[in-house]
Amino acid sequence: MTAPLMTPAAASQSTPPPVVQVRDMDFSYGASVALHDINLSVEYHRVTALIGPSGCGKSTLLRCINRMNDRVTGARVTRGEVLVKGKNIHDADVDLTQLRKQVGMVFQKSNPFPKTIYENVAYGLRIHGEKNKSVLDEAVERSLTHAALWEDLKDRLHTSALALSGGQQQRLCIARAIATVPDVLLMDEPCSALDPISTLKIEELMHQLAKEFTVVIVTHNMQQAVRVSDYTAFLHLGKLVEFAPTEELFTNPRERLTESYLRGTFS
Amino acid sequence: MTPSPSNDNPFAGDNSGIQKRETAARWALRVGSYIVVLITLAIMLHIFTKGAPVAFQSKWPFVNTKFLTELPATLHVIEDQQGNHIETDVNGADAIKKQLGDNFRAEKTISYSGGGILGPIIGTALLVIVSVGVALFLGVACAIYLSEYAKHGKFLEMVRLAILNLAGVPSVVFGLFGLGAFVLTAPKFVSVVAERSVLAIPLGFTTLSFEGWDTCVLSGGFTLAFVILPVIITASEQCLQAVPQGFRETSMALGATRWQTIRYSVLPFATPGILTSSILGIARAAGETAPIMFTAALAFKDKLPWQKDMPPLPVDASIFAHWEQSVSRFLGIFTESVQALPYHIYTLAAKIPQNEYAERAQYGSVFVFLVLVASLAASSVMLRKRLRAKYRW
Repeated sequence: MTAPLMTPAAASQSTPPPVVQVRDMDFSYGASVALHDINLSVEYHRVTALIGPSGCGKSTLLRCINRMNDRVTGARVTRGEVLVKGKNIHDADVDLTQLRKQVGMVFQKSNPFPKTIYENVAYGLRIHGEKNKSVLDEAVERSLTHAALWEDLKDRLHTSALALSGGQQQRLCIARAIATVPDVLLMDEPCSALDPISTLKIEELMHQLAKEFTVVIVTHNMQQAVRVSDYTAFLHLGKLVEFAPTEELFTNPRERLTESYLRGTFS
Repeated sequence: MTPSPSNDNPFAGDNSGIQKRETAARWALRVGSYIVVLITLAIMLHIFTKGAPVAFQSKWPFVNTKFLTELPATLHVIEDQQGNHIETDVNGADAIKKQLGDNFRAEKTISYSGGGILGPIIGTALLVIVSVGVALFLGVACAIYLSEYAKHGKFLEMVRLAILNLAGVPSVVFGLFGLGAFVLTAPKFVSVVAERSVLAIPLGFTTLSFEGWDTCVLSGGFTLAFVILPVIITASEQCLQAVPQGFRETSMALGATRWQTIRYSVLPFATPGILTSSILGIARAAGETAPIMFTAALAFKDKLPWQKDMPPLPVDASIFAHWEQSVSRFLGIFTESVQALPYHIYTLAAKIPQNEYAERAQYGSVFVFLVLVASLAASSVMLRKRLRAKYRW
């Protein structure tokens, strides 16, 4: 059985609409406004990086895309809309579980479940009702291969995921997130807790992942944004200051604020 | 200035009050701790030296099986002219008296001090099973709701306060509550409504009558469940909160519903702690006397709960009739009143004249009781260790 993945060739036949569109969005936690007037378009099979100083709202923006902010009491979108695959995700007929199945997420801290490697990767499929052993086996192998872990781990799939190194754990989390074959993969500072070599491996992985998925990554590391992303959005104090192709933004920023941030003249 | 070599100690203490107070504080705290340990040891040692000889014996099988497998009975002590004491039960007394003939001098009877304590052990076990079953179901449900579903705010604070208050209610009040709620008014299905029924709802084939369950295992078990409920709720909630938030986030981000998240990536990791708390609850439920005094316990009962008289079935009774009687015999266990260890100890200690024979029964019961509770606690620790090793994060 072949995986129902969209190949880059199929995607580029016509110019598809952006997979994620954020339009005129305001977002607040209770009374405090966290994001103001955000406009952002994420293209299929591109890596889009969100950068900015701490507390600028880049993680909040990322979590708006799969509605993970719903878990926070008082957090809500107060204006504008978020469209994923052309559908407003705040519509009443949107099933959150389906949205999150198609918009996967990898967190800052690698947090594999204290289960076996196999069960970690199969988790997403199992909760969506997949019971067929061969489908699960196939998905586990495919996901681990994508995450560049299959060769290392194929002989100990049924041992605890907690025995893996930090970098491997984070790649396992990536494998777990892509097992349900999402269209978009959100990554919230996925390398911030990793050593340089593990970071490098995940950055290499991201180029591969972009062939199959659309990646949105939050990073506080500007070099990382340069290395991995096609587009970069710079946020500051809850506003999207500049959004441009990465090369353009880093070599020739249009905004003074962007320029001074890139030069490190403000924190 | 170069420091001149001298015999002066540059770090010498100044013998000020500060140091003296430090020493005094350390010793006061130390003595306090030692007193606690000493008292605990004294209690344990006392009960062990007096109780162990009753529960164990020097001959094979080293355990006093009679004490552990017989119901309590009246002890008959017969004294002969030489001053020898012969212990026997009510059945053996006459034969021994006849055998002694003129040699017989006196006979003493001591209530409840003969036989064994099987009845109280079984009764306590049944009460614990019912109460922990009920408390675990209600308590874990409540803890999951509070920890995973309820919105933070005034209401939640009030619920927490209510649970804390419940923990502070004296156990005799729980006993009276159980008497009113379970013994006298709890609903049950009956064919003939009793006169004291508060409310009877006819359902056609039967009637749901609020006439209470009488003093029985069920009433006592439910009452004890409410005694240990606050402990189980609080402990379970802490165990749930101890599961990393990241597990919940990851699970939700993979598209799991809230219940799936709880079921697959929260509860399995909280279970070791919840089980530990429940076993501590068992120890508490087993030890409470006041809540079962009005609701379940009897001072004496000559039958085990399943030894209820039932009309003998005809020889040609169908297999269904046998099956039906077995089921009603099993269910009957829970609608019987029982003896329980703490109440039995109370009876032995306060309700019968004190002498060496009564004392022996007292210490034996207390010793067995302590061993039971201690082994429960030990098994909880072991269970937690095993589960922790399996679900460590």
